[in-house]
Amino acid sequence: MNKEIFNEGHIVFDKEATSREAAFRKIAAAAFEKGFVASAEDYYQGLVAREQEATTGFKDGIAIPHCKNKTVFKPGVFLMKFEQPIEWNALDKKPIHAAFALTIPEEGATDHLKLLSLIARKLIDDDFRNGILNETDPAKLTEIMNQISY
Amino acid sequence: MTKNIVAVTACAAGIAHTYMAAESLERAGKAKDYNIKVETNGAIGAENVLTHEDIEQADLVIIAADIKIDLIRFTGKPVYVTKSIPAIEDAAGLIEKAFTEAQVFGKKGSKVGKIQIGNDKEKVGFFTHIMSGISYMVPMVIAAGLILTIANLYAFQKDDLGRIVNWGFDTSDSMGLLMSRLFAVGQVGFKLMIPLFAGFVANSIADKPAIAPAMIGAYIANDAELLGAKAGGGFIAAIAVAFIVGYLVKGLKKIKWPRILAPIVPIMIIPFIATLIISLLVFYVIGQPIAAGMDGMYNGLTWLNDNYSSAPIIIGVIVGGMIGFDLGGPVNKTALIFGTAIFTDTLAKNGIQGANFVPQTATQAAISVAPLGVWLATILFKKKFSKDEKVAATAAFGMGMVGVTEGAIPFVAADPVRMIIASVSGSAVAGGLAAATGCKFFGGIGSPLGTFIGYIEQPVPFITWILCVLSGVLVTALIIGFTRKPMMLAIEEEVAVENE
Repeated sequence: MNKEIFNEGHIVFDKEATSREAAFRKIAAAAFEKGFVASAEDYYQGLVAREQEATTGFKDGIAIPHCKNKTVFKPGVFLMKFEQPIEWNALDKKPIHAAFALTIPEEGATDHLKLLSLIARKLIDDDFRNGILNETDPAKLTEIMNQISY
Repeated sequence: MTKNIVAVTACAAGIAHTYMAAESLERAGKAKDYNIKVETNGAIGAENVLTHEDIEQADLVIIAADIKIDLIRFTGKPVYVTKSIPAIEDAAGLIEKAFTEAQVFGKKGSKVGKIQIGNDKEKVGFFTHIMSGISYMVPMVIAAGLILTIANLYAFQKDDLGRIVNWGFDTSDSMGLLMSRLFAVGQVGFKLMIPLFAGFVANSIADKPAIAPAMIGAYIANDAELLGAKAGGGFIAAIAVAFIVGYLVKGLKKIKWPRILAPIVPIMIIPFIATLIISLLVFYVIGQPIAAGMDGMYNGLTWLNDNYSSAPIIIGVIVGGMIGFDLGGPVNKTALIFGTAIFTDTLAKNGIQGANFVPQTATQAAISVAPLGVWLATILFKKKFSKDEKVAATAAFGMGMVGVTEGAIPFVAADPVRMIIASVSGSAVAGGLAAATGCKFFGGIGSPLGTFIGYIEQPVPFITWILCVLSGVLVTALIIGFTRKPMMLAIEEEVAVENE
């Protein structure tokens, strides 16, 4: 994993969000705070619009919200751990406990986008999902994320 | 026997579902002992691309995509088309379902689309790269060309005898100063359009890191002073630079750079290396032949002029054809310089009665043929041109009418071989006829209008000159029209739509 795309500072433990929209707000705020998007509102709108096309809720409580948007400066991933289960209309209809939120610029940064695509692939791996769901220590979570490489 | 499956996955953003679907299909396929290969059409381009053999040997094709995928390469194969999510949700179930429900693609009567996959740059090749560059260049050609046209019209002045032969701006007059500035604006645009074009052709081949080296390389290749030549390399040199840079950068991207360098490779290392290499190539490999070639052509023309002065049509055809060859590039410039030089030399030596008008008259007759020919082709063969091309052709008409050859560049760059043949033929006809009929071009606009805005001695006043030029224009238009396939720009528009 590349530190610019993901580091310990990209892990957010959220206690408040109870809805998908609230979760999107939290994600947008984090992405804005770390300087990945020009506008939290635009990125939030992008996430909502993408979600309307098809759900990003995967299975076993993990979602991968994302959008490709002009407001995004650079590719990044934020790991959101939600204390309260969030109804997401996931593929298995189970509520979401963790989300990988991706910031995807409209063009360029091929090498970094490749890393984001590897995260998507990794979600299919049961061990990876379990590790992300069960681990609560930021350092350990970062370690799991750092296994992703090409 | 183990069954072979090929699949293509794609999604709107090209980052998440494309790869989740691919991973799911690969895992499910392997678990069931199928040979499965999955091509991902994501934001970073097509990866693990299916080869002709892969498809040939496949027993089943699965398309799990949320965007349109061109199925033409799967013609004759059982194809099952679905979205990305069913593959992510239950890939094993999807494979079984696909085996029973797939339909052979391309059966008689079924429709075959021709939509390009947006990110799949490999397959589109030369034509798409050039088109991409042109789409960025056209607005600049039009903006600069029209401003230049306005200024150019103003620049022609009457001499003491009332003949419109003087060209220039009286900058002590405020209107003259304004027009001279507008002329400079147009020239800046024409100067910039060559690197702009090269930059975006290279961008189409190898993305952002290729833009800077291609722009710098093309600028040098088009700058006479930097090259030490009589003229820059024009758009043909720009195409050469763009493709060299594009594939050079592509190669540089494949190098396994040390991890620590990775973040600065695309913004620093590749542009730096590629700019250095292309600049040196332009100076030492491209620039010298241009300069030497122009000298050679110039000497050839001088020899021809010395030995064949009794047959002006030969000179006329040759210099006319040269004007139409590269539209402002070295061949064109050599002919122009030659025409002016012969005229001023013989004028100084022999006076106006003994001056040799032939090369100058032929070049001026030819100068508007390419842009006007393109325009006429879009009028005569409406169905073979897209909406964008017709707009560009209208601008080419404006530029052609005031003798600005560059108006045809977008069309010629898009389809060099066919268009150069058309343009050279028409230009040679115009140059040859003007020379054969004994027209004498004293000064003015090198277009049909030149007979009004300018001073041309000719057998039948006004008519001869106009007919000479229009014959050339018609020849160019007819060659374009009859050799061209319909709607060249159509593909570009589709790609643009896909990319949105």
